[in-house]
Formats: sequence, structure tokens, C-alpha cells
Amino acid sequence: MLKVSNVTKQFSSGDTKVVAVKDVSFEVGDGRFVSIVGKSGSGKSTLLALLGALDRPTSGKIEVGGDDITKYRDHALTNYRGSAIGFIFQSYNLIPNLTALENVMMPMEFAGVGAAQRRKRAEELLTQVGLDATKQARKPGRLSGGEQQRVAIARSLANRPKLILADEPTGNLDTQTGKMIVELLHKLARSEKTTIIAVTHDLEIAGQTDQTFVLRDGVLSAAK
Amino acid sequence: MGVISRGVRNTFRNGIRTFSIVIILGLSIGLAITMLIARQAVQAKIDSVKSSIGNTISVSPAGARGFQGGGTPLTADEIAKVSATAHVVSVTTTLQDRLTSSNTNLVSSIDPGTIGRRFGGGGAGGPGGNAAAEANFTLPVTVTGTNDPSSVSTLGGGPGGGGGGGTVKITSGQSFDGKSDTNVALVGQDLATKNNLKVGSTFTAYGTAIQVVGIFDAGNTFSNSGLLMPIAAVQRLSQQPGVISSATVQVDSITNLEGTTTAIKNTLGTTVADVVSQQDTSAQALAPLDNIKSISLYSLIGAVGAGAAIILLTMLMIVRERRREIGVMKAIGAQNLKITAQFMVEAVTFTLMGAGIGFVIGVIAGNPVTKLLVANSAQAATAASTNGRGFGRAFRAAGTSITNIQTTVGWEILLWGLLAAIVIAVVGSAIPAWLISKVRPAEVMRAE
Repeated sequence: MLKVSNVTKQFSSGDTKVVAVKDVSFEVGDGRFVSIVGKSGSGKSTLLALLGALDRPTSGKIEVGGDDITKYRDHALTNYRGSAIGFIFQSYNLIPNLTALENVMMPMEFAGVGAAQRRKRAEELLTQVGLDATKQARKPGRLSGGEQQRVAIARSLANRPKLILADEPTGNLDTQTGKMIVELLHKLARSEKTTIIAVTHDLEIAGQTDQTFVLRDGVLSAAK
Repeated sequence: MGVISRGVRNTFRNGIRTFSIVIILGLSIGLAITMLIARQAVQAKIDSVKSSIGNTISVSPAGARGFQGGGTPLTADEIAKVSATAHVVSVTTTLQDRLTSSNTNLVSSIDPGTIGRRFGGGGAGGPGGNAAAEANFTLPVTVTGTNDPSSVSTLGGGPGGGGGGGTVKITSGQSFDGKSDTNVALVGQDLATKNNLKVGSTFTAYGTAIQVVGIFDAGNTFSNSGLLMPIAAVQRLSQQPGVISSATVQVDSITNLEGTTTAIKNTLGTTVADVVSQQDTSAQALAPLDNIKSISLYSLIGAVGAGAAIILLTMLMIVRERRREIGVMKAIGAQNLKITAQFMVEAVTFTLMGAGIGFVIGVIAGNPVTKLLVANSAQAATAASTNGRGFGRAFRAAGTSITNIQTTVGWEILLWGLLAAIVIAVVGSAIPAWLISKVRPAEVMRAE
């Protein structure tokens, strides 16, 4: 369960202060697929960074499974990110000189999982997202955009996270592939009982999720 | 796949860049290894020259050189002070005297020649000379009283002295006890042949019968025409009790030679004794080699510094280029230490590949570069001493000798080279590592 209470993020640049996220509060239950929609500059990515413990809020609390992650120190935050959160990025952000399999194995290596065990888990995940052994052995440069995003999804699931944060997961994909990726995320949310929060500006994709929030000038409101 | 294999693989992500960096690093490390080889070869040469000079000090009466000059002979008390000086291992004392036809039946084996007649008193050509004296003139026989007949320099007369010096090798018979006061002698092989002496024979000196206990070869005509006796016997027979004409001091280590020389000079005083160490001469001769040592050290430091700078700039460029990748790694749970280790492995791989090329360059260039440096320095040194006399001659001789230098590449060089490579990698990675720790994953999100 994700609980966000009165979270505000303010940036300072000289004398200018910009409030990117303003007093945001919401709750998401386990296994739910939630979308946050908003225009460019509305604070979507900032909110996602706060939820993913990539940045600290100026004020407010973020609780994941009852733990207030805003109180964690850097080292603990890194461990938390590695074990409890999965990230999916718009431009996939796979390591270019590693194979698909090695990319998926990497978060497990950082979490201290043994070599044989992480290989087995990575193969299972890649098969689950529809990539066969041949494609698993390929480097990202030799995979299509949709295939790369599947690898990114498999990587995000590697350590069985409680929460997956997706930043424009279909932004670089054609409509058909985007739809397939959203269906895949839906399926995984149910099968792995993982909460998924996707940031998107595509209302059609938002319509496919369990719940949608709208972010406008840093202020969050429920859409449906 | 772990940190090490990822770091190694990352090294080859950009083939052209890797090739360029490795070549430049190879040249830098090659220069460092060349300088290391040169420095080691020069140090070996310096050690060799110093060890060949030996760790001895000559002490002679102030103003005296062999049978020339003046001064007052050294006394047993003064020698006792020398013996008590720190680092002195032994003191060999000698008293030299001349045996002429008036006090010996020995005939010198050396033909007087023009030099002998000029210095030996047979100057018939001068005013007052006569033809008979010129025809009958023979060189005196030098008798050296010593407390240590085995000492290599007992036949020497001190620096620049009349003694010929040389290593005493007994060819028949045996040596005598240098501390005894017996009428025995070791006879030079030329003198023995000239006077038909064998072991067990006797000859007359100072009106006393002296027994030949051995025949020696000192390797030169002058010394082989002399004879050795216990110093106490020579002092007694020549009626010079307690007189010492020179002493050779053995020091425990060549590193203590300079300090001990100074200490003896201070103990005896410059008006009493001339104290000379051959290291004084060698220091001048070895100055060019010391210069090469300095040059090679500075070049070595410069080359290692250049290598570190190359790696530093390369790693800065790579870290900057992979900021997003670093952010992603942090986002998926990588601690700073793991990411830093991965980049350091990359830097070490670059450096080790550079070191491989550097070793080849060093091995190929080490000998010719060393020879070139030594030849140039020796040439300059020889030119500088062209007008020199005395020490200048030794200086020129050493200048010629030091060009005979040979480099060797052993495990020590390889290990030092490897250490230099690791230092380059670690120093070159330090700032990039700090930059890695400063990359915030949130910034990467914003850049998306």
C-alpha cells in the first residue's frame, strides 16, 4: 500500500522559488495500476522521482507498506530502491553493452542474489514478457523499441518490488506496441500483486488503468 | 556478470577511443619504464664503481708522498686514535725504507734508466757528476715494513706516492706474521730472480741476515722489485722505533667512508696528516651518473603524472558521457561503491593495456636511451675535465668507464612498472569517482 501525505517539493534557483509538487496526498492499494496524467511541466516526473526515492520532498510523508521512506538515509534509500521499487523509463535506459539477460540480472546482482539464481529469474521474466532465448542474448541495439521496453519491464520486476514506477512507458512506442505494453503491465500488476504508477500524457493509455490522477501545476486531483 | 567483468567490457565500448587512449598511455608508461631502467642501470654502475674503489682511507704524514716531500712521521699514538674512530675496521701501518749498496747485498732488479738517474741521485749530467758514479749507479731497494702483509695496498706509498701498489700474491713459500719482530722477508719475484733468492735463502740488510720466507708477485715491475718485512723489524733494524710512514684504514661500509674520512681529518688535524679517500675522486667521476639519476627520476615522475592526467581526463569524459547510465544504476539499487569500483576497473584495464605497450617500449628503448644519456653526460664530463690534472685524470678515466653501461629488465622493473600503472589508474580515477558519487538519480529522471 502506497500512502502519500501532503507532499510538497520546492526548487530554488537564486532568488526564484518554484513549487513543482504542491501538497499532494493520495493512496494506492496493492496490485493496482494507477496513472498520473498531466501536461509537460506539470510536475509528473518530479512526483515520480519523489515516489521512487530518487529525490526527497521538501515536506510531507511517503509511506510504502507502512515505512516512511522520506526518513531513510542515502545508503538505506539505495537499498530500498533496489529491493522495493522498479523503474520503467520512456527511453528504456538499458545498458547498451550488456545483453537483455544481463540487463535484467543487474538489479539482482546489486541486491546480492546469487549468480545462478539471478540468471534463472531473469530468463523466466524475459520469457514472461515474450522474449525468447535468442532475443535474451541480444544487446539492446539489436532489439526493437517494444522489445527494449519489455526488457525494461522485466528488469523492473527482477527483485519482486512492491511498487513499479513507469515514466511515459509507451512514449517512444507506436500505438499498437504501446497498447501491448500497457496490457502486459496490467497482467503483471495482477499476477505479481505489484502496484504500478505510470506517468503519461496519453489519455487513451490512462483510460486503460484502474485509477487516474491529474496533475496540474503541481496540484493533484482524482480524475475518476 | 559482476563489477569486474562489466568494468572490463566497458573499456571496449568505443574501439577507436580505447585504441587511442591505450597508445597514449603506452607511450607515457613506456617513458616511465625507460627511465626506470636507466635509473636502475645507472645506480648499478655507481654501486659497481664505488665497490671497485673500495672502502679504504690513506693516512700519510702531512706533506709527505712516499720518499718525496717532508713532514713528520706518524706515531703509534696517532694511529691508535685512528683505530679508535667510529666505523674503522682495521688499520694497516707501513714504514718504507730504502736499502742501498751501503746497507744491503741486494741489487735492484730495475734498470735505473733516465728517470732513475734523475730522481735517484745518479744525475751525472749535472754539475759535479762524474762518469764512474753514473756507470755504477743502481736504484735502491724499497723495503716495506707492514703489520699486515696480506693487505692489498701494503706496497703502495699512498696517493700519488712512489709505491707501485698492487695485490700481493705469494707464488712460493708463505707469509709472515705482521705483528712479529723477526728477521724474515717476502721478496718480490723480480728481486728474487735478480739476486738468485729462493725460499729459505738469506740476504743481508742493515748488517743483519734476513731469511726469505716467501716470494710474491704484485703484478707490476716496481712492486716486484721490493720486499716486505714485519714493521717492527724494519723499525728496529733501520733505527726508527715507533715510526710509521703511512697507514691504510679499512672502513666498515662505503656509506661511512666520507664521514670517517672527515672524522680522521678532524682527529689528527691537517698539519699532522694528509687523509685521503678515493671516494673523493669517485664523487667527481660519478657526478654525470648522478645527474642522469636525477634526470631519470624527474622524467619518471613526469611520465607517471602525464599518464595519471590522461586517465583522469579520459575517465572524466566517460563519467560525463554516462551520467544517465550511472543514474539508472543508482535507481535500480547500485551503491556508489559498486559503481565507482566498476569505473575504476575500467581505468585499471585501460592502464594495464597501456602498461603492456609501455613494457614493450621500455624494453626496446631502455638500453639505447640509457646509453645515449650516459654517453652525452660522460662526453660533457670529459670535456669539462680536459684541463684537469691529478683527479682530472681519474675523472676522464671514469668518464670513459661509465659509458660501458648495460641495462637489464628484471622482475623488479616489471613490478615497479605495474605499481606505476596502478598508481596512474587510482590517481586518475579519484576525481571521477567523486563525481560519480555526486550524480543524483533524480537529475537523470528530470533529463528524461
